[in-house]
Amino acid sequence: QNRNAILVSNRQKGNPLLKYIRNVRWTFADVVCDFLLSQTSCALYLSLRYHLLHPDYLYYRIRELQKNFKLRVVLCHVDVEDVVKPLLEVTKTAMLHDCTLLCGWSLEECGRYLETIKVYENKPADIIQGQLDSDYLSRLTHSLTTVRHVNKTDVVTLGTNFGSLSNIMGASMEDLARCPGIGERKVKRLFDTFHEPFKRVE
Amino acid sequence: MVLQFHQHIITELLEDTNGGLVILSSGLSLSKLISSLLLLHSTSQGTLLILSPSSASLKSKINFHLKTLNPQFYQIPVEITADLPINHRHSLYSSGSICFITPRILIVDLLTNKLPTSIISGIIILNAHSVTETSTEAFIVRIFRSLNRTAFVRVFSDRPQAMVSGFAKAERTMKCLHIRKMHLWPRFQVYVSQELEMDPPDVVDIRVPMSKYMVGIQKAIVEVMGACLKEMRKTNKVDVEDLTVENGLFKSFDEIVRRQLDPIWHTLGKQTKQLVSDLKTLRKLLDYLVRYDAVTYLKYLDTLRVSESFRSVWIFAEASYKIFDYAKKRVYHLVRSDGMKLDETSKGVKNKKKKVKGDNKDTEEADVTSSTSSNGIVLEEVLEEAPKWKVLRDILEEVEEERQKQGMLREEVLAEGEDTSNGIVLVACKDERSCLQLEECITNSPKKVMQDEWKKYLLNKVQLRDVVHKNKKKKSKEPKGFGILNGVTPISPAQNTETSGVNKQEHDALMAAASKLRNLAENNHVVEDTPQSNLEGHVRGKGKRKLGNRNGPIIIDDSGVQSNNKEDVTSGKMGMSDTKNEAHMDETSPVSAGRFCETEHGGISVDDTVLRRHTCPSAMAKDGKPLPPVHFYALESDQPILDILNPSIIVVYHPDMTFVREIEVYKAENPSKKLKVYFIFYEDSTEVQKFEASIRRENGAFESLIRQKSMMMIPVDQSGHGLGLNFTPDSDLNTAQNSITRKAGGRKEVDKEMQIIVDMREFMSSLPNILHQKGMRIIPVTLEVETMVRYYRIPVLLIEFSQDKSFSFQSASDIGDDVTPNSIISKLSLLALHFPRLRIIWSRSLHATSEIFASLKANQDEPDETKAMRVGVPSEEGIVESDVRAENYNTSAVEFLRRLPGVSDSNYRAILDRCKSLAELALLPVEQLAEIMGGHKAACTLRDFLDAKYPTLL
Repeated sequence: QNRNAILVSNRQKGNPLLKYIRNVRWTFADVVCDFLLSQTSCALYLSLRYHLLHPDYLYYRIRELQKNFKLRVVLCHVDVEDVVKPLLEVTKTAMLHDCTLLCGWSLEECGRYLETIKVYENKPADIIQGQLDSDYLSRLTHSLTTVRHVNKTDVVTLGTNFGSLSNIMGASMEDLARCPGIGERKVKRLFDTFHEPFKRVE
Repeated sequence: MVLQFHQHIITELLEDTNGGLVILSSGLSLSKLISSLLLLHSTSQGTLLILSPSSASLKSKINFHLKTLNPQFYQIPVEITADLPINHRHSLYSSGSICFITPRILIVDLLTNKLPTSIISGIIILNAHSVTETSTEAFIVRIFRSLNRTAFVRVFSDRPQAMVSGFAKAERTMKCLHIRKMHLWPRFQVYVSQELEMDPPDVVDIRVPMSKYMVGIQKAIVEVMGACLKEMRKTNKVDVEDLTVENGLFKSFDEIVRRQLDPIWHTLGKQTKQLVSDLKTLRKLLDYLVRYDAVTYLKYLDTLRVSESFRSVWIFAEASYKIFDYAKKRVYHLVRSDGMKLDETSKGVKNKKKKVKGDNKDTEEADVTSSTSSNGIVLEEVLEEAPKWKVLRDILEEVEEERQKQGMLREEVLAEGEDTSNGIVLVACKDERSCLQLEECITNSPKKVMQDEWKKYLLNKVQLRDVVHKNKKKKSKEPKGFGILNGVTPISPAQNTETSGVNKQEHDALMAAASKLRNLAENNHVVEDTPQSNLEGHVRGKGKRKLGNRNGPIIIDDSGVQSNNKEDVTSGKMGMSDTKNEAHMDETSPVSAGRFCETEHGGISVDDTVLRRHTCPSAMAKDGKPLPPVHFYALESDQPILDILNPSIIVVYHPDMTFVREIEVYKAENPSKKLKVYFIFYEDSTEVQKFEASIRRENGAFESLIRQKSMMMIPVDQSGHGLGLNFTPDSDLNTAQNSITRKAGGRKEVDKEMQIIVDMREFMSSLPNILHQKGMRIIPVTLEVETMVRYYRIPVLLIEFSQDKSFSFQSASDIGDDVTPNSIISKLSLLALHFPRLRIIWSRSLHATSEIFASLKANQDEPDETKAMRVGVPSEEGIVESDVRAENYNTSAVEFLRRLPGVSDSNYRAILDRCKSLAELALLPVEQLAEIMGGHKAACTLRDFLDAKYPTLL
């Protein structure tokens, strides 16, 4: 079968969600889950509005899946105003039956989850470990903005004023304070980040 | 001397032994009020706990006043934090003294019964305005009240505006803190105004006209702001009454707007969101217009243009063009070399113009890329000085003349240390930057200051040119990959916009001026742009850079700068402790106040040099007129400067309501002192408007509070009963302490007693408070959380939304067409893929979370705290559990480190072990890094990143 496509259960025929799966191919197939994303991962789709009408539906669907998958996603479309109670029920069902709950507030968002899980099937976990773009400015911004309230404009200001990160790190409070837009509190936060020891207690 | 109205406040407050809420006008010295109140405390009453305020300066001011009010009162309150071992904390709790305590450790000790509540005389909270039903303060008071009904809870705020934001804020605050009485002390209260207006200081109000271009810029900004507000009104999403330019001048405007927009944030279009952020930018631009010099202002605008994204609405507004144009004209304009002006509109600037000589030739030699079309276009410096500068100088000269007439100068030189009316002039500016700059204006000359800023500006540009140039030719020999190779990308759009016609010529002319300057600088000091990776080279490079940029007489000698820096490092920690105040007290010299709390000592030496220069007749200002000793003070640094310095002349350079009140208080406390105050306002500026509006706003807030007070419904048993479960009747109080905290009212839904083990760090959040409200027992312990997936069968991620904000990540229109690595969807998907056992809870609000927890726990065994603590703790010998706690780390530094290229999960711990701080890391040569990080490649990556030259913009 087609490995690069999402296999969609015939049950989902007519689901408007399918319109929004555009970045990966998909095809109908006879599968027990709603969406077969890879050999080891699958997803069930549930609209909260539907859940309110058929509270047992999710449970039976999960039971059908049996233990064949490593990752079992319950993709919940939040399409009602009063969410607290139904969402609690869905959360509980998903958790007690070993499913990962993902919520989307629009069909676009739900579709994007399916696409992403498929596209990222073999992707390493780099980006959730906090390593983003590799160009200099992004990385500099990425690191400097760990200091609270330091924003992109400040990063540019610091960069142009000191010329390099090591100069920024070595800057005195006075020098930092000379930068337009860097107020007292930012100066202190930056300075403390650079000069307070990593370990507070030896 | 204690102020009379402070005594009134205290008397009124003490009438009710259960406590009360005091709200006073800002600037009426909350810190002194607290100190006077604390002096009434005696050990026999029991221990008095003050919740440590988040602002360290308030705490240090309280300590300062405690000492001045009563020099015999040696016992400065100790601070109880999580760092103190439990037995130490216990002895402090039972000492009967006054202690500052962080809310987090107080709630933990209350929950674990480590605090003997019966011997606590009361609790003082200093930030009433930030307390809500879900905050830790409310949690603390609820538990505390359940265990001790007689002690007092006294709550203060000097931010009345913040007390009226949101619906019935004051009343709700009082309810959740179990307080029945509210005491309002506005500036217009009769006791206050009588005392402060009895013998007011001499006030000289000086209105300085702004320069033509400043007026133009201000007008343009206000115009654009108006346009943005109009757009905003069209959206019909924000209350029209709030959308005024006057409101737009204040920071609180963002809050007003966000409060209304947050619940529907995801439904807003990009345009509206952009408007919100544009208004913020515009407010800053207005503010900086009167604070920054012309060159810095232009530089800031340049920076904005590059960083603020081209999506901004305002940048394209027609009036915005004027902002940029006028800002530029304050700095330079272009003329043909035959002297004809290129731009006709720029006539009428009367400042002296200095032509950059020999520009053309240099252009041809140095600037290879400049095209022939640039021939004949020359840059003319305008370098408009801030109009206030001259006024300040005039004031200082006048003051000095006066002083000399009175023959004070001689006396002072003789009796240097011990003069009480020391003739010091205090100049108060908003920020540190202005202080430094004004100081240079006074010691050197305004012209010099402008020249220096201009040089810096140009040098920034020429550096960019180099970067681009090198890049075009080939990769440079050095492997400085980051800056040179990749850093250039964001610049190209800015450049592209400048390629056409006049812009191109302007650009070339700027470059020419810059490279000429740079060559000059390079001849003097060879270092400039060689980021060395060895240590000495680095330090030297820095020192020289300073020289190069100033390019002239330097105020402080090089060694002085170095030692200052070192002091900064060492005294960083000290500043937080009490030793600092001793420094204040011990130094009788009139210059004892440094500007930053933490750089006390560094600050002194700087000021010393300046002051000596001024008091010494031979080192007069350049134009020969003598000046009095001046101390520059940044309002931002928030110190008891008036009490430290005891000035008799104050120049309020940037008007500020709070500071004006502080002056009034200072005068009332020293009735015999002759005090003269100069206010320097820009005429018809938003600066004036803002100052006046701030007073109106505060009065308005008080009027509203007075109304609220008259209609308030506070239940009578607020003082002891209710246990903080405002909604449910409480259970029997007379049982043992622990069971009370456990039951805490026991809501119906919870049948059996549930308990939840909460990590200590989580007490910064409101969830423990809400869980407790729901009737669960909260057990604080320290958990090893980082390894959750490894040690628990069902690890769960809780995604909780704020009640007041929309329940969704993003609107459908924000999702975009492609799968992008930065989106939250991608991150969650990856998380799910990599941790398939991870469960996710989506919760609408804090309260929903507590429902979910209760429901999930319904048929499960209760957790065991001793087991919980052992989870994830390495059992090998020598590794103690407390060593790995996050609170022992400078977490922002560690996080910063981990984000640096070359630093990985496997080597960052080694860096923490072998390197003290980021600043130290920045100086390590690559070989040493390689040794620490266990690899040459990683070390090179890191070193290169640290030294990569920042691509200059524009």
